[in-house]
Amino acid sequence: MAAAKPAVIVVGADKGGVGKTTVSRTLLDYFSANNVATRAFDTESPRGTLKRFHPDITEIVDMTTTSDQMKIFDTLNSGTSVTVIDVRAGLLSRALASLRDIGFLDAAKGGQITFAVFHILGPSIASLDEIAETASFMAGAKYFLVKNFINDTQFFQWDQATYNSYFHRIKDATDLTIPKLNEMAYEQVEIASVPFLKFVANKSIHDDAANYSFVLRGYVRHWLANVWSEFDRIKLTDIVGSGKAVRGSEK
Amino acid sequence: MPATPVYIICSPRPQVGKTLVARLLGEFLLLKNGRVAAFDINLKEPSLIDFLPDLTETADVIDTYGKMQLMDRIIVDDGLAKVIDLGFHAFDEFFKMSEQIGFLKEAARRNVAPIILFVADTDRVSARGHDTLRQQIPSSNLVVVDNEHVVRGELPPEMERGRVLRIPALPTFLKTYISRLTFSFTDYLRQERDSSTELHQWIRRNYTVFRDLELSLTMQRS
Repeated sequence: MAAAKPAVIVVGADKGGVGKTTVSRTLLDYFSANNVATRAFDTESPRGTLKRFHPDITEIVDMTTTSDQMKIFDTLNSGTSVTVIDVRAGLLSRALASLRDIGFLDAAKGGQITFAVFHILGPSIASLDEIAETASFMAGAKYFLVKNFINDTQFFQWDQATYNSYFHRIKDATDLTIPKLNEMAYEQVEIASVPFLKFVANKSIHDDAANYSFVLRGYVRHWLANVWSEFDRIKLTDIVGSGKAVRGSEK
Repeated sequence: MPATPVYIICSPRPQVGKTLVARLLGEFLLLKNGRVAAFDINLKEPSLIDFLPDLTETADVIDTYGKMQLMDRIIVDDGLAKVIDLGFHAFDEFFKMSEQIGFLKEAARRNVAPIILFVADTDRVSARGHDTLRQQIPSSNLVVVDNEHVVRGELPPEMERGRVLRIPALPTFLKTYISRLTFSFTDYLRQERDSSTELHQWIRRNYTVFRDLELSLTMQRS
């Protein structure tokens, strides 16, 4: 079932506050539910939000330093099939440029590595310029444009024709939508500092029984199922070489 | 151990007798079990708290906090039967939320038995509401209440398919009599010595119907 080829997923945006870490968290939960061995790197150095939610599998790195680049990319064949990198706001283009410089993008192009980018879009026109900039690095990569509605982004500033003109310039880019999550539910998961999956299962970070609201857990369960159906739609487990998504009982 | 019942009395229409059914059921459960918890989700109609203030607390499903206050209470298997008088304005939001949070599945996991008492009417809004419930709720948990004072004739055929609980119509003067805020069905049974009066028989008949409903639900689960 597990392919030998390592997979790297970069989650990023050049704009802050668009929900990169939230999307990274849903990815880690998704792979965990599908029994795909995963590790994560949080580039929000020195204080990582992703590490707060997934401390066991997350390491904080500074992607601009050679030593941390080695930590990530020289260990891709260490046995873990998927590596998720949550790229700090404003660093996406630079991170991709670094990957090009170290030959990583060529390796992806050559099929030695599976490489996917989840580009989280903000509501402003600036995001469209980001798409154009990022797209230039995307040969050999799976490129996903993620419209994140979790914080009630309306995308109101977008003119559909403008968006389409950018979008259609990028070959094989795929649209992905993250729906809105009830504000109070989102807030409670933040306070609890646990993965969404543990919140749904009413467990603390150490797997002890917790006492989260049944209503809020229900909202998170429903929302997570919708997010995962988007990941299923793009056949994410197939992309990372782990075959068809097979989950136990996430609903 | 028997499941903790949660009776949800509902309709997307006002003035169909929801509070009457909630009052009868609340008093029946109090008489039978010695305790009951009732929740009133009515803002725009005469409501349960006016009739049974000692048993009832108000609740709402307008915002997430209100939903938490209500649902986190009724999902508990504590052996205490619960009655919810769900106002027509809260019908859509309540069942939308129930579906989203997986209320029925979680209830089954926790040994809680929701019983939806849908108070019927013959209009289009009721038909749509009933259809929504049929898609969402297993037939074993859904009971149509035929309040003869409202329906006055045959129920729509779709509503006749499952379990139906009939509330006979009372003459107008008796209806007015039981509509007084101080009226208690159980007190009436205790105080009225003549058991042949129409109201005495009406109350006893309705209590029997509720007892039969409880019994059949218990047997269904065992």
